[in-house]
Order: sequence, then C-alpha cells, then structure tokens
Amino acid sequence: MAKTVTLAHGAGGKQTSELIHEVFEAHFKNPLFTADDAAVLDIEPGKLAMSTDGFIVSPYEFPGGNVGKLSICGTVNDLACMGAQPLYLTCAFVIEEGFPMDKLEEIAAAMEKTAAEAGVRIVAGDTKVAGKGQVDGVFITTTGIGRIREGVKTGGALARPGDAVIVTGDVGRHGCTILLARNEYGIVADVDSDCAPLWGAVDSVLAAASDVHVIRDATRGGVGTVLYEIAEQSTVGIRIDAPAVPVDPAVKGVCGMLGLEPLYLACEGRLVIIVPQEDKDAVLAALRQGKYTKGAAVIGEVTAENPGKVVMTTEIGAETLLPQPGGELLPRIC
Amino acid sequence: MCVGLPARVVNVKDGVALVDASGAQREVSAELIEELDPGDYVMVHAGVAIAKITADDEEETDALLDAVID
Amino acid sequence: MEQKRKTAREIIEGYDGPKLRIMEVCGTHTHEIFRLGVRNILPENIELISGPGCPVCVTPVGFIDEAIWLAEEKGCVITTFGDLIRVPGSEKSLAGARAGGARVNPVYTPTDAVAYAEEHPDEEVVFLAVGFETTTPASCMAVKQAKEKGLKNFSILTANKTMTNAYRALKGSADAFLYPGHVNAITGADSCAALVDEGIYGVVCGFTAKEILTALAVTITRLQEGKPFFMNCYPRVVTDEGSTAGKRMIEEVMEPCDTEWRGLGVIPQSGLRLRDEYAAYDARKKFGIPEMKGRSNPACRCGDVLQGKCTPADCKVFGKGCTPLHPIGACMVSDEGTCAAWYAYKRDVIE
Repeated sequence: MAKTVTLAHGAGGKQTSELIHEVFEAHFKNPLFTADDAAVLDIEPGKLAMSTDGFIVSPYEFPGGNVGKLSICGTVNDLACMGAQPLYLTCAFVIEEGFPMDKLEEIAAAMEKTAAEAGVRIVAGDTKVAGKGQVDGVFITTTGIGRIREGVKTGGALARPGDAVIVTGDVGRHGCTILLARNEYGIVADVDSDCAPLWGAVDSVLAAASDVHVIRDATRGGVGTVLYEIAEQSTVGIRIDAPAVPVDPAVKGVCGMLGLEPLYLACEGRLVIIVPQEDKDAVLAALRQGKYTKGAAVIGEVTAENPGKVVMTTEIGAETLLPQPGGELLPRIC
Repeated sequence: MCVGLPARVVNVKDGVALVDASGAQREVSAELIEELDPGDYVMVHAGVAIAKITADDEEETDALLDAVID
Repeated sequence: MEQKRKTAREIIEGYDGPKLRIMEVCGTHTHEIFRLGVRNILPENIELISGPGCPVCVTPVGFIDEAIWLAEEKGCVITTFGDLIRVPGSEKSLAGARAGGARVNPVYTPTDAVAYAEEHPDEEVVFLAVGFETTTPASCMAVKQAKEKGLKNFSILTANKTMTNAYRALKGSADAFLYPGHVNAITGADSCAALVDEGIYGVVCGFTAKEILTALAVTITRLQEGKPFFMNCYPRVVTDEGSTAGKRMIEEVMEPCDTEWRGLGVIPQSGLRLRDEYAAYDARKKFGIPEMKGRSNPACRCGDVLQGKCTPADCKVFGKGCTPLHPIGACMVSDEGTCAAWYAYKRDVIE
C-alpha cells in the first residue's frame, strides 16, 4: 500500500522527525536550514521587504505546477514587486491525514527547484497534520524576506499620468488552468499555468529603466483587479487598449464557452509594470529577453482623467469602462 | 439571454459532437442539427449546437448593408 | 466611379432625424453593447433600451424561494447555470443558502446535471430550468435522457419562457426591436416577420461588433423610411423556419402555460411546463412544493427598467443599496442585467 501521511507524523515524535528528515530536509537542506527553533541569518544593512502568503489550491497539482511551486513563486514575486531580491523563505505545511507521501515529495521537490531558480533559500519550516477532511490536501504558507535594490521605490500609489502600462505576458492562464483541472465543465484545452518565479524579470527591468513606478503581481482577481487597485491607490485613471491585451487563443475559447473575462482570471507568473513612457521600450526589450516574459506587451497608459477608473478602448474604437471586478467567478450561460 | 460561441466540429458520433473553439474543446449535443460533418461550424449555447453557421460576419454584414442602402 | 456606400457606423453616427427608441431584447446584446461601448458612439436622438431578454432578470423571486426550499427542506442538490446563484430570493440567494450548507452546483449544461445524478444515485438532483427557446431544448434533452436512463433522482424546476407574447406585451415600449438572434436560431426569422402585421417591427441581430452595428444601421434606415419592416440581419445563423428539431424537442416535452415575468407580471401563454408524460421529472409535483409568493424589495424598480419605463439611474437603490456584490433586484445580478451593465460600464463617467 502506498505510504501516506498519518496523524502520528504530526504528533511531534519519532515519525515527525522521520517526515522532516526524509521529505523536507532531503529537499530543503542548505547550511542555513535550521534544526533549531529559529534560523539565524546574517543580513547586510539596507532596506528589507517582507511578505507572507498562504496557498490553497484545488487540485494541488495542475498542468504547469503544483501547490509547492506556487508557494515559492507567490512569495518570491511579492518581494520582487517591491524591487527586492528574495533572500530567505520559511514555509509552514498543514497536511491532511492520508495525503500520499510520494505527492508530498513531489511538492517538496518543486519547492526546492523553484527556490533554487529564484535564488532564495528555505531556512525554516513547520509541519502540522490535520484530520481527514479538516484541510483539502495540503496548505502551505510561505514567508519571505528580500533586500530592496538601492534607489528603487515601487508602489501601487506611484503611477503617474502619462506612464505606460505593461503586462509581462498573456493573461488569465493560471485561473483557466485551475478551472479546467477541476473538470467541472467538461472542457478540455491545452493550457498550462503561467506560475513562475519572476525576480529575474524584475531584475532586468530595474536595470533597463531609470525609474520604475509600479510593479504588481496579478494573482487572484487577475490583471483587471490589479489595474483597479493601482488606479485607486494612485488616484489616476488607466486607459487600456482592449485588443492589445495578450490572451492565449485557448484561454479565449474557454472564456467564450463559460462567459468569463480573461482579465479577471488569476495569473501566477504575470506582472503589471508601470513606467514612464521614455522607459517603455527599454523595459519591453528587457522583458522579451526573459524566460517567462517573452510575451510582454504595452496594454495602455495612465491618465489624469477618470481617477480610480479603468477605461477600455474597445475593438470598435469606442470607450467604455472596464467592469469593476466583483464576487465569485461564475460561468455565465444564459 | 443566450451566450453563443461559434465552434468548429471535430467529430460527430451518436448525436454528440466534439467542437473546438480556438483550442478549447467540449462535447456538445448535435441532436438539433440534422446533417453535421467534421469541419462544419456551429453556434453553441449551453452545451447544445443550436445552428450550423454558414458564413463569417464580415461578408454577411456587408451584403446586408448593400441590400438596404441603395 | 461608384460612390462608396456608407458604413454601418457612419449611418449610426450620422443620424440626425427625430428621436428613435430601439429596444435590444436580449441580455447578451445588452452586455455586448456595453462591452463594445456602442452607446458611446450613438447620437443623442437614438435611445437604446434594454429589454427583458435576460432569463435571470425575469425570473420571479418565488422561483428562487422554491429552489432554496428544495435545497433546505428536501436536501436536494441544486444544479443550475451560474447566473442564478446570486439572484436574491425573498430571504436570501442560492449563494446564501449554500453558505448555510445547501448543495448548489453550477453546471455548463443541463445534461451534465443528469450525468451527476446518474453518478450519485443517493442524491436528489434538481436542475433549475430557466431560459428562452434557445436554452429550453437543452433542458428538454436532459429530461428525456433521465427518462431513457430510468433515473429516479433527477427532476427540473421549470421557469422556461417564450418570447413572442412578450414582444406583444412590450409593443409600444420602443419603435423597433433588435431581436435576440439565438432565440431566432430556434424559432426562426418567420416568427418575428409575422409580427409586422401587428405593428411590431425589428431586425434579428447577431452578436459581433459588426453584426450589432449593422443591425442598428439597418433599423435606423428602415425607421427613417417610415414603413413597416422586418429583416433578418443574422442569416449566417438564423434561417426563416429556425430549428425544426429544436422546436420539436420543446413541443414533445413541454407545453405552454401562463407565467410570471419579474417586473412585467403574468403574460398569458408565455411560459413552458413539463407535459403530463414527464410529470415524474417535475420537481414541483415530485416534492409538492408549497406555493411561494416571493417578496421583492418595494424600492427596486427592475420591472420598470425591464419595460424601458425608466433607466437604472432613476431607481433610488441603484448603486447605493443595490450593487453587483449585494444585489436587491435581479437586473443587478446577471452580467446581462441592465442594472449590472449600467453599474459596470456607465456609473458616472463616459457618458
């Protein structure tokens, strides 16, 4: 019978140390990974960014990744959005009793690989096991710290009229992938998650532009939600050119079947970047060299008019408001 | 009222058609259309192919306006 | 050289005759018209009115109450198009019931609900059958499939509606209708062509930007000519006779009945219910649902909005008590709803 996680693995005794030893230490080991109560870190002076995020995704594995990869990318990308090079991460697991051990291995392996790619070290962890049905598979919370690049100041309130609005690739892929992976609507499409660590991309953008105003990770709620957040925080309007928003044809097809808007589907490897017009071309050129950002595109500009609003220029050249994001995404048929 | 999506028929079997809309595929009922072959285009609504589509909107709208305006 | 014919857009933007009121009947038209920004290119003397062609918006409060009763009192699994989940009932919506433990599953198509019932023989599965002629064949197929499979745990709660008598009830609300192309895909262009003799005019309209602009341009041109008119502006999908198989499917499983339209009241012979042969699949009969007189918020003016008597902006609760996140009236719920579309696209800018 396949080995599974049991309540004993969470009880703190021998089996707990076995689990930590065989799964987590095996994948996360590095000189800083602590066996004590807390990791001890040497940090150079300067500004730090710190972020935490919980990851629950059903199903926990999907085309293009799993919850482990997601948990590293999410926190790495949150730090990157502040112009911070991710340095250290901690992770806390809540595992459902009966969870297959080999799947837990795969999740840990994905975390190891993604962390290595992002140049971040996992320095501490925690494991709890919850009774059957108390959690759905495995929940992971990661917390990270990173060092902010000298002279860099990004934030949602820093968009200025005239700035260019860039997305780093086609939108809505992760949300669409999860929707398909749940197999509730009988739709099949060759779509995989955009889930990716983006510090490398941000690093190249910071090198290419003299002044980056906003970097936002378009996760839950998608690019549309992020644009509204920025418009509100910066008290500016944002005008986007609807036909310029990159969308994978299959994502468009799925959205067409279900009556959904790709701009509101989650991404896990897409940034909205706002820079002065004069930096636009250099940033775009840098992004198009990147592994995960080849599909970067300018989708619009920041305006002084319509503060707090996102306006779209539509395919017939008329202007209309992008609807405000709201509530649960429900497929619309009639 | 009725979100419709044009899609290409991939195959048809026993009153069920596999349709493709730019890469998204799903089985839909083909019961309402008498003759349906792979390669045909249909309008899909709520899991049912409701009509076979005969032309694209470009040609058709031009022809309509030509007819109305002398 | 031949002079170039005006484009649809030039015809629309160049119109400067007397005031025209055109009603787009279909909720998907309302949605697309807003999404494309069509209203923002219309001259002032053309008014587009959003009609009652959103099945969610015209579904009475009592229907939602019935569904919640089935979920809460009978433990039924409610399967439904996603659109209905947030529609307010007298006390709460299906989403509210779900938060309290009721089972509510969105499905893509009614036959998926049959498949679910087949896989879960211990659960009572009810599909909420709303929609017009376009959608009704799918519900009829589901019932037929359930009967063929001999399923005892599947039934539907009907609120299906037909459009022709609604056009009659709405006569005079507008100078012309943009008819809902996908309803006509089933009913045929002839069903609307026949209304010309009763003084009801309009064109069958498609759903792409080109199709909507063309249908509007044709309507404007014909209205200017001042003669009775009908035109099928969506012939790539809509034939004169429509879908014989679709009409047959409906007729085999369902029969006409009087029905209540939210905001419009009871319109005679504008609804559909299951025929006696399919009574075993009628959730009302199967579970003996008590009569529910839904209570809607008296301040809500969805009914007037649906008839083009006022715009959402004239409603006291619009955008205040009633928002897409906390809808009071059904028109705020569906993306197709006039109030939701106004809230999303038109609240205060870009007029």
